[in-house]
Amino acid sequence: MIGIVMFFAALAMLTIGYPVAFTFGSVSIFFGIFAAIIELAPNLAFVPVAEEFFQMFSMMPFRIYSIMNNTILMAIPLFIFMGIILQKSELAERLLEAMGTLFGKVRGGVAVSTVLVGALLAASTGVVGASVVAMGVISLPVMLKYGYSKKLATGTICAAGTLGQIIPPSIVLIILGDVFQQPVGDLFQAAFAPGLILVALYIIYILIWAFLNKEVAPPLPPHEGTRAGNIKRAVFAIIPPLTLIVLVLGSIFAGIATPTESASVGSVGAVVLAGMYRKLSWRIVDEAALETVKITAMVFAILIGATAFSMVFVYSGADYIVEETLTNLPGQKWTFLFLSMLAILVLGFFIDFIEISYIVVPILLPIAEAIGLNPLWFAILIAMNLQTSFLTPPFGFSLFYLKGVCPPEVSTVDLYRGVIPFIAIQILVLASIIFFPTFYGFSQ
Amino acid sequence: MLIKVEQFFMRVNRILGKILTVVLLLMTLNVFFDVIMRYTFHNSSVGMQEMEWHLFSILILFGVSVALLDEGHVRVDFLYDRYSEKRKAIINIIGTLLFLLPLALLILFGSFGFVTDAYQIGEISEDPGGLPFRWLIKAMIPVAFLVLIFSSVGYTVKNINILRRENRSQLTIDNEVGK
Amino acid sequence: KKVRWKLAMTWSSTLTPLASPAPKLAKMVEEMTGGNFTIRVEGAEKHKAALGILDMVNGGQYEMGHSAAYYWKGKDITSVFFTTIPFGMTAAEQGSWLYYGDGMALQQKTFDKFNIYSFPGGNTGVQMGGWFRKEINSLEDLKGLKMRIPGLAGEVFAKLGVNVTNIAPGELYTALDRGTIDALEWVGPGMDIKMGFHKVAPYYYAGWHEPASDMQFLINKKEFDKLPVEYQTVLKTAMQAVSADMYFDNFNMSAEAWAQIKEEFPNIKVKIFPKEVLQAMKKATDEVMEGYAAENADFKEVYESQKAYMAKAREWTKMSTQYYLQTSEMVSE
Ligand code: NA
Ligand code: NA
Repeated sequence: MIGIVMFFAALAMLTIGYPVAFTFGSVSIFFGIFAAIIELAPNLAFVPVAEEFFQMFSMMPFRIYSIMNNTILMAIPLFIFMGIILQKSELAERLLEAMGTLFGKVRGGVAVSTVLVGALLAASTGVVGASVVAMGVISLPVMLKYGYSKKLATGTICAAGTLGQIIPPSIVLIILGDVFQQPVGDLFQAAFAPGLILVALYIIYILIWAFLNKEVAPPLPPHEGTRAGNIKRAVFAIIPPLTLIVLVLGSIFAGIATPTESASVGSVGAVVLAGMYRKLSWRIVDEAALETVKITAMVFAILIGATAFSMVFVYSGADYIVEETLTNLPGQKWTFLFLSMLAILVLGFFIDFIEISYIVVPILLPIAEAIGLNPLWFAILIAMNLQTSFLTPPFGFSLFYLKGVCPPEVSTVDLYRGVIPFIAIQILVLASIIFFPTFYGFSQ
Repeated sequence: MLIKVEQFFMRVNRILGKILTVVLLLMTLNVFFDVIMRYTFHNSSVGMQEMEWHLFSILILFGVSVALLDEGHVRVDFLYDRYSEKRKAIINIIGTLLFLLPLALLILFGSFGFVTDAYQIGEISEDPGGLPFRWLIKAMIPVAFLVLIFSSVGYTVKNINILRRENRSQLTIDNEVGK
Repeated sequence: KKVRWKLAMTWSSTLTPLASPAPKLAKMVEEMTGGNFTIRVEGAEKHKAALGILDMVNGGQYEMGHSAAYYWKGKDITSVFFTTIPFGMTAAEQGSWLYYGDGMALQQKTFDKFNIYSFPGGNTGVQMGGWFRKEINSLEDLKGLKMRIPGLAGEVFAKLGVNVTNIAPGELYTALDRGTIDALEWVGPGMDIKMGFHKVAPYYYAGWHEPASDMQFLINKKEFDKLPVEYQTVLKTAMQAVSADMYFDNFNMSAEAWAQIKEEFPNIKVKIFPKEVLQAMKKATDEVMEGYAAENADFKEVYESQKAYMAKAREWTKMSTQYYLQTSEMVSE
């Protein structure tokens, strides 16, 4: 019960406008004291309540330390640094413009290019913070410059950046592999088709929406010169970032680097490329590094705040309420599927995907087994659902991360509105996997 | 006077930012170097690999302070955006005192035992060729949150200055209207 | 008397069989005390500090923990003996040493300084030497081999020229698949099958480095001493019961998993390292152990105790188990 109250309290506090990270943290402190009182009631004295409370928060250093030596998270600063170097050296802009001009008079070209670049980036990292922020710094300025609507621009970036969660490698899939006791490799394979369908639908949506609404995604102004010249320019602009993508993905596939390490190859590669195109200066590297430091710290601060929040949430016994509710889910296939998907979607508002994976999924698994659901299929459904939870307002982490790199004229509401169509697409794909499993290669 | 104080905090913050810039570049090269060494020379040192997350830790822990004074932290701003500068400053002052400081103090004091345990026992890496002095990297937690408390004082001063500036201009406007 | 405890595990709640003893213990204790003594078990997904168990039990955030002693190698090198050491004792030998030799007393001596009572918490038996992408035929093949192998075994391999690499568990499968590493060690078929390593590396080498890994129950001393005697006995009895249970649980899981792997992937070859390689490993192990013993009196004491016990116990293992296996081998086709 406290958990629910805590959620709404956090919501109310967040709207005040103080930084998200510290608001989460302090709401947790407040409810931590509350939880300590309830834990000890009715024998309330100041000293034991304070002890109980400090005991709870003395877990914080351990949690922070776990974040510190979680080497997979190093992908965040490395990818952000790569992204900012590409942006500051104008290589990213030229890539997106060039890809955009290839669309000629068709509207929405830059957004489509953004989705494509996001899909490629997703194939090299499974950390959402890394890809959302990198996509944000790379393509938001370009889209805004060419008069894209803020909603379409931010929605596209949030969705494209979050693709990293479903397109392998992916942290969600690794964790689900653990919970489902299924080989990670199998899950990676199974996630491939849904990931591609998502990319395709994003693109189709953008093209249709841009076609229907003239002002949301104008075509790039035609360039002077011949068509051949334009193509030459485009090729010239696409080659460097393409080399970089080949470097990053190639180093993973050739067994040179792990996905996390490949981000460092990307960073160093971006600097070298910028140098080759004579766009490099010490000032650019310095500015890019400082910006990277601040953005990384912003992401990390949210992680700390969220870890305090979920700690108190779990400590107050909310997870047991969830457990009890879900254990009684009905055993008919469709009702079960519908209710379990709904439960995960709703819980995605409250707690992070790691907690959902370990608290909720183990309860659902035995029921799913009893019904005879294909575990791989069920795991992918859950992964899609968790991916959606990164996008859902008000607590979707992708939204916070992208907000952190938006120019001031883009407001939180723009982001909230912008992602809604993409969330709808996610749910559509989720439903299609449920109803047409064989299309995605699942045996039933 | 308060303006001077604010400038002092901002200067310290810039220096801290510079240091972290170097840390980030070192970390990037560190990871890249380890990849090259392993792949090309079949030779990697566990110590160097641990150095990667040591640098990463310093970066994320101290970066929180730099981001604070440079307004790098995310807000839910659909109401905040519409507020006056004065109201924003008040929210920031109260938020820092009620939200940020308690959290930072709790983590600061909560982590002493965490560090002294590691120090007393002489904890080192559990892997072959790993780094010694685990207490040192663990100690970065309280140190970083101490710095955050320090920075939050600077942040409060900064917002008090905004408040005073706003009040003064308000006063001028009132006077002019009065004429 | 009502007692409510919390227990933190190093493993996430789904990592069977390592994650099985603690919940079973909690259930037993609760039932044996008519619901008066309850233990809430929390996996790594809740406390998010897998390797902070010792600190948290010491600090009182949790009354109890379930982990493995060699994770505290960086705090006290002597702790490795209470899990397993390369070329050390088998599960039966080590259990005898712990319960009927000097083992438990020496273990307690080691953990006294952490303000902790330590008890055996289940055994995995022989762990496999790991999955290799290429066959190891000579010492030369080990030179520059990129392998993820932590702890003492990593130290030994490093001495033989292996390129010991740290990779986050989440990236292990991709790393082995792509050849970022050439080999890795995990546990045994029962747990390895979930990681899927058999799909990407064809050679499965027999164990040498973890002949009998004991898990560990940690209990905060102050809290344990506060318990009524009958609860202490209940707890100790339950710990011993679930420890024995985990050994069989893991044995069964590995037998089942191996049967499955063998059927689905008939090309996987189970290998024993060549004699030359094993001799070099043994020599390197002795050097590493002697090195620690020379500078650490506590380490030396436990090392000597294990060596002496093993010399005696191995005679009996040979006469009984080894000869029996040979005997039954002779009559099987
Ligand atoms: Na990915
Ligand atoms: Na092992």
